[in-house]
Amino acid sequence: MTLDWAIVWENAGALARGAEITVLLAVATMLLAIPGGVLLALMRLSPVRPLALASAGFTEFFRNLPLLLVIYAAYYILPLTTGISFSPFATALVALALNVSAYNGETFRAGIQSIRKGQSEAALALGMSRAQVMREVVLPQAARRIAPVLASTWVSLFKDTSLVSVIAVGELAYTAMRIRSQSFRVLEMLTAMAAIYWALGYPQAKLTDWLYRRFGVRE
Amino acid sequence: MEIDLDFGPLIASWRFLLGGLGLTLALSALTVLCSLVLGGAVGLARCYGPRWLRWPLVFYIDSMRAIPVLVVLVWGYFALPLVSGVTLPPFWAALAALSVHIAAYVAEIVRAGIESVRPGQTRAALALGMSRAEAVCQVVLPQALVRMLPAFGSILSITIKDTAIASVIAVPEYLNCSQTLAGQSFRPIEVWFVAMAVYFVILFPVTRAVDIAYARLASLGRS
Repeated sequence: MTLDWAIVWENAGALARGAEITVLLAVATMLLAIPGGVLLALMRLSPVRPLALASAGFTEFFRNLPLLLVIYAAYYILPLTTGISFSPFATALVALALNVSAYNGETFRAGIQSIRKGQSEAALALGMSRAQVMREVVLPQAARRIAPVLASTWVSLFKDTSLVSVIAVGELAYTAMRIRSQSFRVLEMLTAMAAIYWALGYPQAKLTDWLYRRFGVRE
Repeated sequence: MEIDLDFGPLIASWRFLLGGLGLTLALSALTVLCSLVLGGAVGLARCYGPRWLRWPLVFYIDSMRAIPVLVVLVWGYFALPLVSGVTLPPFWAALAALSVHIAAYVAEIVRAGIESVRPGQTRAALALGMSRAEAVCQVVLPQALVRMLPAFGSILSITIKDTAIASVIAVPEYLNCSQTLAGQSFRPIEVWFVAMAVYFVILFPVTRAVDIAYARLASLGRS
């Protein structure tokens, strides 16, 4: 077997562009999914029952579906039901944002609920308004617990963007597999793809571990 | 906008879909089994194995956490045969790739479970004259296992979801069958709605059970 690693260098530009789209997609998804998660958590914790139920239903639905299925379903169902033709990138963004919002909603809810009720009650008794209690007592503490979990979700999201290659979004996995099928340098391209993901993902995983050590709750 | 739905083609192909569902469940069960065995061994070796073995194991675990499962799957199916000369059929390639990936997560759960038992207990057991193996098997592991149980439940639901990715290397599991049917029947909306319902019906009880297990077992593992 002869290996020709030159193919990787020849396509370095395309791979870099693919990696760029991977990062862009992950960032855009998170930017949508953080407000989405906040909204879901607020709905879930609100005393208005229909809102809480709708949030729980949404969360459970997307937590219990394979992401790949959500991507395919979005690809086929979105244009047929809305009549708008979405670009593959936009379709991927919708599918990923739905999925990650559900997880973020749970993260925010758990973070807020982890702050004992006695603290908000004490703050209310001291004459703080509900908004003040949230802003000055609950959220600063909850944020420390939410940060590491959010980082884990980010690492998962970063890896999950590879799944949108099935609907031809030109991110890293799609680009590498396209060059593979055009050049027939299977081993070289797939190894390069794995190596790039590793190089991007490894520091993120380590950083997440550090966040857990720094902010993790110890009992 | 009005959409007319026709589930006829789906009902006509129920045997085909049921076969796919069977394969999804079989692949999930085997993957969970293999990754528990492999991940359990890696986790134990990392905690109690020889020192020189630790860093390669940590490297393996962290690499699997850094690389998408799709990449492991595609590399294992298309590139590994070129290196090893052995070509596995898609089902077995998917089983191997998913197991290697998920085992890393299992190993982390095992390590976290073991580390959650305070070291004072091991020292006390050793001071009472127990051997190292006795201390691990009779003191640490029984408590650690209880704490690992809910996390193993999460592994089950993650595995079922991840088996859908095996469709990329043409394992005819449920998602792959749905793709085929969506193309052939010209009824993609119905096919994908049913697929969502099927996966949800399988996964919802699993995640509910895990949530309940977390609530119930959390107090048992406390020391």
